[in-house]
Amino acid sequence: MVRFFVLFIVLLAVLFGLELTPWAQTFVVVPWTNALAGIATWIVTLFDADVVASGKVIRSASNGFAVSIEAGCNGVEATLVLLAAILAYPAPWRYKVLGFIIGVVAVQALNVVRVISLFYLGQWSFQVFEWAHLYVWQVLIMLDVMIVWLVWVRRVPATPGHPPGAPPPAALAAG
Amino acid sequence: MTTPAAARPSLSRFVLTALAWLPVTFVIWYFAAPALLWPVRMLATIITHAGFGDLVRSVSADGATLSFLTTLKPGRIDAAGIVSVDVNMLLYAFGLPLFAALTLAAGGRRVRAMAIGYIALVPFMTWGVLADFLKNIAITSSPLIASQAGFSALQREMIAFAYQFGSLILPAVAPAVAWVLTHRRFLEQLRASVR
Repeated sequence: MVRFFVLFIVLLAVLFGLELTPWAQTFVVVPWTNALAGIATWIVTLFDADVVASGKVIRSASNGFAVSIEAGCNGVEATLVLLAAILAYPAPWRYKVLGFIIGVVAVQALNVVRVISLFYLGQWSFQVFEWAHLYVWQVLIMLDVMIVWLVWVRRVPATPGHPPGAPPPAALAAG
Repeated sequence: MTTPAAARPSLSRFVLTALAWLPVTFVIWYFAAPALLWPVRMLATIITHAGFGDLVRSVSADGATLSFLTTLKPGRIDAAGIVSVDVNMLLYAFGLPLFAALTLAAGGRRVRAMAIGYIALVPFMTWGVLADFLKNIAITSSPLIASQAGFSALQREMIAFAYQFGSLILPAVAPAVAWVLTHRRFLEQLRASVR
């Protein structure tokens, strides 16, 4: 458990540091965010043709309301948290890769829902938008990451000496 | 001693219970924020007086907003007035309702886990608040104010990283980590229950 948490925190700090570099911003974060805006807009246009995307901005052509997808709302940090948690947990690499790919899809799917919901909440009530944007969705996305990780952990084969369904080792059973 | 299969927790039930608790914990958190965040205010005050005594004259709170009254001048050094920086503590404390909802959903020794988690999260919330204040005076303020603060280029880089980490990562990750650490037995049971 200690090894997992130390590794998780170190990996998270390193990954987050890398994310902030100009290279990562230019070649990963900005294209990722623009793609997210494009996907969210494409989904919205299935039932609302008045919406257009321009880079990371989603705009209503009818009333001019727009949201810009910024750091913290593009799901990059949530993805890094999931990646660090999967890498830090002892598991075969095949499970790590598969878990990460499926996990990214699950986290980003909810993130698209977040972006679309905020786009419409903002047009309805700025106060509700602020609450949902600053607090509620942050918590829901983190909860999503936790659920994905927990589901993945349950699928990972047990490590030697700790078979599936075995009682928790005394060292772990402090919660 | 093994856990009977019937007594093992189910992940879906746990998630649904946590989601059901979230609106309740959010409401309590929002209205109790001034009291819940009092330790953050105290810790931030102690650290600013100890570490940035030359920059901060006083720290006061209005609800969940912490105001740092600085010694910095808004314009020329001989100009009247001083710079005040307001920080919304809720931005760094939304993990509390998440931690509370997860703890209530997991069952067990809820009060004990809640108390341990709350105490453990105070330093991380304080980190966010202080990094926000420092970012305001060292990076996003006018060059005149930033130059009075007297931070070196390296210090400004460190403040920028501390702010980004303290606002984008810690508020959500710290409660999740605190919850995992305070519910290791529950997690073991949850992991075993799938087989």
